[in-house]
Amino acid sequence: MKHLLSNALIIARRDFMAVVATPTFLLFLLAPFLMLGVSVASGIGGAYLAKGQHDSREMVVIASAADAKRLKVEEDVLRSRLYGREGGPPSVRFVLPGPDPEAQQAHLLSDKAMEATAVMGGSLQRPVIAHLPGEADDGRYLALLAEESMRSAELGRPSGTQFSTPHIKVVQKTVPTRSRQQSTGSGTVVIMFMLTIMLASQAVGTLAEEKSNKVIEILAASVPLEAVFFGKLMGLFGIALVFVAFWGGLAALGIGILPASAGLGSFAPVIGTPIFIALAGCYFAMAFMLLGAIFLGVGAQASTMREIQMLSLPITLFQLIMFGVSMAAAGNPGSSVARFAEVFPFSSPFAMAARGATNAALWPHILALAWQALWVGITIALGAHFFRYGVLKSGVGPFKALGLTLTRR
Amino acid sequence: MHTLPRGQHLWRFELSLADDRPVWASGLVKSFGKFEAVKGVSLSVPKGAIYGVLGPNGAGKTTTLRMLLGIIDPDKGERCILGESSPRNVSQRVGYLPEERGLYPSMKAREAIAFMGALRGLDWAEGRRRADAALEAAGLGYAAHGKIRKLSKGMAQLVQLLGSLIHKPDLIVLDEPFSGLDPVNQELLERLILAERDRGATILFSTHVMGHAQRICDRISIIAGGKVRFEGTVDEARTMLPMKAQYVPCSGDDKVGGLLPADAERIGNAWRFTVPEGGAERLVTDLIRAGHGIAGLSIERPGLHDAFVRIVSAVKAEEAEAVA
Repeated sequence: MKHLLSNALIIARRDFMAVVATPTFLLFLLAPFLMLGVSVASGIGGAYLAKGQHDSREMVVIASAADAKRLKVEEDVLRSRLYGREGGPPSVRFVLPGPDPEAQQAHLLSDKAMEATAVMGGSLQRPVIAHLPGEADDGRYLALLAEESMRSAELGRPSGTQFSTPHIKVVQKTVPTRSRQQSTGSGTVVIMFMLTIMLASQAVGTLAEEKSNKVIEILAASVPLEAVFFGKLMGLFGIALVFVAFWGGLAALGIGILPASAGLGSFAPVIGTPIFIALAGCYFAMAFMLLGAIFLGVGAQASTMREIQMLSLPITLFQLIMFGVSMAAAGNPGSSVARFAEVFPFSSPFAMAARGATNAALWPHILALAWQALWVGITIALGAHFFRYGVLKSGVGPFKALGLTLTRR
Repeated sequence: MHTLPRGQHLWRFELSLADDRPVWASGLVKSFGKFEAVKGVSLSVPKGAIYGVLGPNGAGKTTTLRMLLGIIDPDKGERCILGESSPRNVSQRVGYLPEERGLYPSMKAREAIAFMGALRGLDWAEGRRRADAALEAAGLGYAAHGKIRKLSKGMAQLVQLLGSLIHKPDLIVLDEPFSGLDPVNQELLERLILAERDRGATILFSTHVMGHAQRICDRISIIAGGKVRFEGTVDEARTMLPMKAQYVPCSGDDKVGGLLPADAERIGNAWRFTVPEGGAERLVTDLIRAGHGIAGLSIERPGLHDAFVRIVSAVKAEEAEAVA
């Protein structure tokens, strides 16, 4: 075991240095900046698009000049009370009634020159409101406007009179709620999954170098294949840690300068923040090792880049299934889905990390980490066995290894 | 009668075997699918010897070496390397140069050597120190800090060879070590192998170039068709074939042919024939008595090349017959 570990460390060291000490690594490390840039650019573009669409939409009220004046004052007050300075439904345009109100209403809704979402006609006592499909809220807003206007008139007060002056303040909840704990769990699963899929999936092609430059022959003659596989995974994990440390540091700096009201108070693991972060780190290591070992084992069988690319798809889909199961577990703690996800080795790291957010018991985590470590060993051993059988053409086949033999009559 | 427990017997046997036979194999068989590459190879390599595994392409040399090193397991048969039935247990005492050379192109030469030493249990710092010295001694000191991708094929091959020797192994296994090297580097490699033998290491190498084997091997095995067809010293291989004589008579008389062995053939004014079993003395006397005289006479032993060709040709004929 000691030899296996020391051999694995030699290979890990070589792999780590071969990647980290190259300019390409800098590109890899800074790649998320590119992703962030794309996200920001598309976000700004989307916001402009949405704003442009919103600005061109409007609601129309067909009313006499006197009614329009009252309604306009009432609408200003109503909008500011309901939505503040910004947001809310489209603006309201007032038009004078034509000879045929019904035809006018239909014409306004279908007019290409304007984008009316709802049109209110008739009298204020009996308003007739027509709206486009999916724009019921706008219709209800116009109805409320008519109602408020009539109420003011009935009470004999000027339009928009305010009887109550509220003082509204924001209060952060200090006691974590169940939903906040679940959100913490789900968020952790998402972050872990993103990091794992981005970093562990690189293991798929890592043995291709040794196969193409024939170094695998030297490695196979010098150290056990299990040490080669484990070393490769440790090397990649080291690279992943540099990546996580860099971006984690930047994120911590970002969080440090964010105001308290930025919504970070929703991070509320029941097990306690320091223990939860430590556990999430351990589970990330296990998730990386487990899924990385699958990627490595399957990728080692491939002999060309095309085969590697083709093999990546089913593994990625498998990973997505694990993500889906773990998200379901995070959303339904204690359910049978959660139990399954916590026990199934390849979803266990994600599901157990989510469990840490909603359940304070510590001992299941110790058990789970031991269970996952066992499966890391099993997966690496299987990967090495299949490599020995499939690539080096040595040893017994997978069926024979499992004690299954096919007999031919 | 006092008897040792069974395990202790075996242990003593393995220890004594390791002492004088660092490599021992019996009945190794290996198939790849339906193709039987090695069909029962047995080897016994004496300690401190340079042992050549000779054979034509596809004879099963590489597969045999890979089985001995534990890279692949035999389907049948036993092997014992430095006293261990599991080669993995003694991998730190073994150096290996594979047939298909493998180095990381982005590594520096000294790092590549130190890395190979580290894989065999050598400390990195010590590996670097030894790498510098070994590169200097091999005339490659200037390339120590150069990347492998910038070295020529021959230089990279030497770097890999130095990497496989850097941890001073007790057993050195070289698969076709001379292929791809120019004559100067081939001579350098021969000197390196002899120096390792002088250090006390046992060297096992495969080749199909007879010149190297004839010059440096203490013992050889000739493998053909997946089986060992000859095992012994180079001289023993050469004595398998009768000696050849070349005779030039003083007279140009064709009647001289009647006195010579049946296989005699005339090449210009000389005759070439196999020396009779009893020796050439009687024949020489007869020729002189008959008045043909001796203008020239040379008797030569066949080379390893001739013995190899004869053995391999016989195997090929045997196989062709079996197929027919």
